[in-house]
Amino acid sequence: MHLHPIKTVEDLQFYVATAIQLEHATIPPYLTAMYSIHPGTNKDAYDVMRVVAIEEMLHLTLAANLMNAIGGTPDLTQKGFVPSYPTYLPNGETDFEVGLGKFSLETIDTFLNIERPPLPTNSKKNNATSNLGLLKTQRTKKMLIPTFKSAEGDELHFYSIGEFYKAIGEGITKLTEELGEKNVFVGDPDKQITPEYYYSGGGEIIPIHNKKSALAAIRLISEQGEGHEGGIFDYEGELSHYYRFQQIKLGKYYHKGDEPNDPSGESMPIDWDAVYPIQSNPRIEDFENVLELKKAAIDFNLFYKNFLKQLTNSFNGKPDQLISAVGGMFRIKEMSYQLMRNPINEKEKTTGAPTFEIDLV
Amino acid sequence: MRHKNRIVDHKTAFAKNYDVVIVGSGISGSIIAKELSKKGYDILILEAGPGKDLTLSGYEKYLNNFYSAVSKDNNAPYKRNPNAPMPRSVDVKKLESGKPNTDSYLVQNGPFISDFTYSRVVGGTTMHFESKTPRMLPEDFNILTRYGRGLDWPLKYEELMPYYRKAEFEMGVSGDVSSQTFSNEKAYEDGYVFPMQEMPPSYLDQCVAKKVNGTKINIAGEIRSLKIRTFPQGRNGIPNEDYKKFNNGELFRPVGAVSQHQAEEGERCQGNNNCTPICPVQAKYDARKTLAQALESGCVDILTRTVASRVVIDPVTQKVSAIVCKSYKDLDSKEYTSETITAKLFVLAANAVENARLMLASGLNSSSDLMGRNLMDHPYLLTWGLLPEIAGTTRGTICTSGISDIRNGDFRTEQAAFAVDIHNDGWGWATGSPTTNLEDIVDNKNKFGKDLRNELVHQISKQLLLANMVEMMPDPCNRITVNPKYVDQLGNPRPIVTMQIPEYTMKGIAYARQMSRQIFQRLGAEDYSVYGTDDYGYVKYKGEGYAIRGGNHLAGTHIMGTDATNSVVDAKQKSWDHSNLYLVGAGSMPTIGTSNTTLTLAALCFKSVDAILEDLKHLHSSKQISNQL
Repeated sequence: MHLHPIKTVEDLQFYVATAIQLEHATIPPYLTAMYSIHPGTNKDAYDVMRVVAIEEMLHLTLAANLMNAIGGTPDLTQKGFVPSYPTYLPNGETDFEVGLGKFSLETIDTFLNIERPPLPTNSKKNNATSNLGLLKTQRTKKMLIPTFKSAEGDELHFYSIGEFYKAIGEGITKLTEELGEKNVFVGDPDKQITPEYYYSGGGEIIPIHNKKSALAAIRLISEQGEGHEGGIFDYEGELSHYYRFQQIKLGKYYHKGDEPNDPSGESMPIDWDAVYPIQSNPRIEDFENVLELKKAAIDFNLFYKNFLKQLTNSFNGKPDQLISAVGGMFRIKEMSYQLMRNPINEKEKTTGAPTFEIDLV
Repeated sequence: MRHKNRIVDHKTAFAKNYDVVIVGSGISGSIIAKELSKKGYDILILEAGPGKDLTLSGYEKYLNNFYSAVSKDNNAPYKRNPNAPMPRSVDVKKLESGKPNTDSYLVQNGPFISDFTYSRVVGGTTMHFESKTPRMLPEDFNILTRYGRGLDWPLKYEELMPYYRKAEFEMGVSGDVSSQTFSNEKAYEDGYVFPMQEMPPSYLDQCVAKKVNGTKINIAGEIRSLKIRTFPQGRNGIPNEDYKKFNNGELFRPVGAVSQHQAEEGERCQGNNNCTPICPVQAKYDARKTLAQALESGCVDILTRTVASRVVIDPVTQKVSAIVCKSYKDLDSKEYTSETITAKLFVLAANAVENARLMLASGLNSSSDLMGRNLMDHPYLLTWGLLPEIAGTTRGTICTSGISDIRNGDFRTEQAAFAVDIHNDGWGWATGSPTTNLEDIVDNKNKFGKDLRNELVHQISKQLLLANMVEMMPDPCNRITVNPKYVDQLGNPRPIVTMQIPEYTMKGIAYARQMSRQIFQRLGAEDYSVYGTDDYGYVKYKGEGYAIRGGNHLAGTHIMGTDATNSVVDAKQKSWDHSNLYLVGAGSMPTIGTSNTTLTLAALCFKSVDAILEDLKHLHSSKQISNQL
């Protein structure tokens, strides 16, 4: 299956399904890095990652609203929805992999890649083949979702999440022009998640009923990730995810008015050693010799599977289930700590971690 | 709530000309600063506390102090500060006859010894309050005329209604207006709802309601039926769709954690159990949320580690010309500098005890001699029992429901009204549980491991504590005074408390005790309430003894009234004696009914803002004229 430019409502639904998967795919890596930090240490870095993770939840919910608005069915329970880490991102970026790893400089570099802004137009010139932000790159591994194929048969990939959303926005504009807005936004408005059920300070949930609200949601997602018009802040004046993570890498806070890559705020103390030495990209089979760990890892996956089920229900006409689903995230944290505080075996220094192998349970 | 860093150093503060100087950054001071800053006035807030709490990490230090403290009293999160001491319940001792208790910050004369506290940190006492926000009842405003008790207010409930709405918006109230039916008069506008839906009642509340709802009681010959209802609270919940018409068509937007960086926290209550003193996620309102908005305006500076020490009056105009303040170096240091700050207008917003203490320390007893008098609080009687079945005690927030049916009625001619909280944190307030339970199970019952855990659950999740909050009327003999003999480290006089529980209140307390017995009977609960004669709050009344606790709802010390002979301030909280001075907060309240004072004092401050803006306009134009001359 290949992505191709959006021509039909089905195409649009496929893109939005990918968006939902994409937004979710960032959450396990962020949670793993956050919870690997010894509680009470690295407070500033923890808070930075926490805010990003919460906004990813917002993006996931916005993508679900968009799916409902265009008459699709958000489904977080289908096989393969949770990628097998390490993985490429579902939007087709293939020059880096995203894995589950402890809080480290290397992990922060991956996070920077996830949230990277589009390349400046001039440096993209030679490689980009369309205005969609696609790059011609060599794929090395089987993709979760095969990527874009150009008319000439070249394999093309989105360079950034923002550009992927830009393609969705253009698809919506095109379809509403061709079919009329009412024929695109055919979804049941009662399925929209509204601010009563979801709110956070970094941008409100937007119920989507038409082109205008759809594009507003897309703008919010892109700019929270990558900033507004190449700046480091989004249009609400909040620092974008990319530059938030960069603060951890550089050990310094950005202030209003700062230029990219040159934060001028107070320093952010980081202790890279106050971290549980968790195994990267763990699998259940890694815990074969430690039955308690194995059981805890399976319990975690069962719980997480149920969490995704609750989210799916809440996105399908039972919005009140969102409140208890979010409440369940306390348990995700607790269960993560349980795994991360216990060694895999006596000799090795590494400890357990959630495997997120949801399809195995 | 994100905000600018506006903590200024001394040099900056004393070099600047401020329009208004506000003493105290609690809810009163923060509301007034925020509202005046909208009009561009330059404001300085003097704050006695260390001021390290306007960041997320500063707040989290408070949390960690609380978690690691042996005593979980209301001021446990805040380090002891000899330069701006605060009362702590752990310091309270039984009165020895013939001499006052003098060895902690509050000097207590008795005869009643109260363990009331307040907090002297940024955000004031909202930094430990529980955040219940019931309005006072229309009947409370003319209780003297109506029931021959207490004092009438110089303003009517209707006049305060629009300001109550502002206060409910500011504090982000969650609650159910339709259950607030204790008044026989119109208490809310038609169709009014609180900004957010009610906090869901705890499982314990539901267990109690099942058996108690419908219970008939006889109060001074009147038969009433009890009903468990939720309290309105300043705590973030689910925004109410119907509130849009009271908020320019917008859904209410909850205000989250205070931080200099984006925090994404505190937008919704998570059901933690230590609302008092400190919410781990900042879903509970505290005045820093209002202060942060004031600071964000860019017109408000805050000078911390600075204690207002003396109010200076111009002998000709009788206006306040300056405030002398003492700035200390840090908590552990005796070093301080003394400086004088001037402004056009001054607002004392330091709380009922500290406002009076400062005025009295400045020799300003007021022409009515009422400064510091009429000290009120809500005396609490705790009653506790063990339920026959597990009721999930400690699951969820500290208190969501209670009994308010006895807040009003003709019985108030005879005895005090009261309200009852169902405490969801077990017997802690009365007995020190769960620590005391743990000690008993380990030391006396020799349990360990799984048995210990089971026994703990068994004992704690059946605990029911009722906190009966009883009305207390103003009495000029209950008062705050000062004496140069008793001073703190900076040489500021300490408050001396003289307090007696009036018989009217004792009648209410005795009735509350009886009603608890009836409730426990209905629930099949074993009554474990005991009040020892060695308890510092022990009071004997008609053959029965009661241990009474302070409610921290201090009020009345600069009471408002209709003229300079019967009060300290007018209905706008403006001093009768000094035309550029406002004394704000619960100290202005002539009565407190059965409402936790914060919401009402917040409403009064919104009302004062209108008057202060009017004054500033005049001060500004008279200054222009004098410049032209």
